[in-house]
Amino acid sequence: MLAKTGIDRLDELLKGGIPVKSNVLVYAPPFIGREIILKRFALSGLEEGNDVLFVLTDKSFADMREEMIKLDKKYEKYEEEGRVRYIDVYSTSVELKEESKWAIFVDSPINRERIASSIIQILKEKEGNNHRIVFDSISTLIVYSDAKAVFRFLQVLSGICKRMNATSMFSMTRGMHEEIEVQTIKHLMDGVIELKEEGARFQLRVQGCGEVISRHWIDYVLEGEELRLTGAFRMGRVA
Amino acid sequence: MIETGISKLDEYLGGIPEGKSVIFQIEPGVEESNIAIHVLYHNLKKGLNGIYIASESSPKNVEKIFREFGWEIKNFNNLYIIDGYSSLIGAPSEEKFVVEEPHDIRSYEDAIIEIMEKVGGGGILVFDSLSNVMDMCGERETLEGIERINKDVAKEGYTSIYNFISWPYKEAILYRLRRLFNAIIEVRTVEDVVARQRMEIKKADWCQAEGKKLEFKIFKPEGIRIYIPKISVIGPYQAGKTTFIKSISRNFTPVERLGATVGVEHGTVDYKQYRAEIFGIPGQERFLPLLDKLGSSSKGVFLVIDSTKPHEFELAKNMLAKFGDIPYVIVANKQDLPGALRKDELKNKMGLPEAEIVETVASQGKGVYEAFEKLVEKILECLNAS
Repeated sequence: MLAKTGIDRLDELLKGGIPVKSNVLVYAPPFIGREIILKRFALSGLEEGNDVLFVLTDKSFADMREEMIKLDKKYEKYEEEGRVRYIDVYSTSVELKEESKWAIFVDSPINRERIASSIIQILKEKEGNNHRIVFDSISTLIVYSDAKAVFRFLQVLSGICKRMNATSMFSMTRGMHEEIEVQTIKHLMDGVIELKEEGARFQLRVQGCGEVISRHWIDYVLEGEELRLTGAFRMGRVA
Repeated sequence: MIETGISKLDEYLGGIPEGKSVIFQIEPGVEESNIAIHVLYHNLKKGLNGIYIASESSPKNVEKIFREFGWEIKNFNNLYIIDGYSSLIGAPSEEKFVVEEPHDIRSYEDAIIEIMEKVGGGGILVFDSLSNVMDMCGERETLEGIERINKDVAKEGYTSIYNFISWPYKEAILYRLRRLFNAIIEVRTVEDVVARQRMEIKKADWCQAEGKKLEFKIFKPEGIRIYIPKISVIGPYQAGKTTFIKSISRNFTPVERLGATVGVEHGTVDYKQYRAEIFGIPGQERFLPLLDKLGSSSKGVFLVIDSTKPHEFELAKNMLAKFGDIPYVIVANKQDLPGALRKDELKNKMGLPEAEIVETVASQGKGVYEAFEKLVEKILECLNAS
């Protein structure tokens, strides 16, 4: 069973998508498409009938919702159906007064215990359903405490997510962490989608994630809210 | 002696002597992890001094958590908050006592000692959470610091309570951690029937409470309740099951037609610090084959009988037998009617000499809570034996 990422050629590269119930790290520098991957992943989950849970440490749930609606009008309908939930770890800490029946507010990124129990609470409400989790981002958690503590947190969390039928994407910002921290976190994941900027080109590569067509760096371009793979990876075309 | 305010736990521990340290080791992800805060509140209410170390939430948020339980922090001038959070995220603090160096356990020690010496008079120190401070200050350094803190705390006549989330730390660290405390209480989630939490006393060096367990849930705003997710009420037709459930429940969902119960009824019992969900299973013979299904995963059973109808006792016993080996109490109802058999006669007639029988008049609420308490005791005994 595979979960489509919602980006056509990326799914092609992944031979259909990322394995269901896997945990994938999206590792990328800022502003070169990380958010597009996360949002498309959420949207494609909703299209496939999954429930989606956003865990947000760097923006309010209200901002995320607006961005999602911009991406697809149907998003509001999904929301009304109660299929989108948020754990907002941002609003309270910057003293935004937000309220929503679909959001749980956690006061601080240090409060990992609260984050974990809120995730479990939401997954349990619809136990048996397929879930997708977008966790954006691990980097903030690490900055506020330390990588080892976050590693322990993820160790517990990734197990729970799998057990409760969730396919998850965790994001981490390239350039913010020591190499050892990155390796530690990667170690807990089933796969990594890595983005980088190489001169004037954007490139992407996949590690883990089950069977894939190519593990090389592949060029892509950003066009508005789209991320399009332009590099060749079809077996026949690779020299 | 200090109490935790969790009645059953206090009974098991016989209270916590001054100078002792207690750690709640809590499985990550449990629904409500902040047990120490309930212990703190209970003692503040009694007028004891309370020192609260906030490390993973701002003092403002602590205030909010208090309020969710209907408590107002500002009403307590015996509460001293140490803010270990603000400097961590680089925010200004409005608190009088601030941990300047949140990455240095000695900075916490300084604040604690300052308060204890200024305030004097003993009290309770609540550390929330130790796991977070370990992540901040280093595991070994923190444990060494805690050893010193516990000594100071004991010297000043305080009692310390630690909230600790059991993330997967290295076993060597956990081993050292366990040695540091006078008592260890483990908390984890139990999933059958309704999710709830289970406490187990893993160590308590002043009493014989090791291995004692209790199951609870935290409700807002009521706080901690010893929780029993399912008790079945069975018995022959018209023995008074519905009346019994009504008489002990604070809310009740009836399923009656023409005075007969035609489906499973439900009531919630709130009594002392207990909360139990009780389910009445109709007594008509046609429901008999469903009895074990409807009653499955019950933690205990009330067998309600009409004390004036000995010819139904055999049927009643058959109903009970369907539940196998499970705690039960026989509710000998309708004691106000002429010819009602008493407890000892019933034991004889039913051939159950060991049975716990409570005489009741459910319609007047007589004896019903006695029956409830007896059953709860039996359920807890059963849990402790498991």
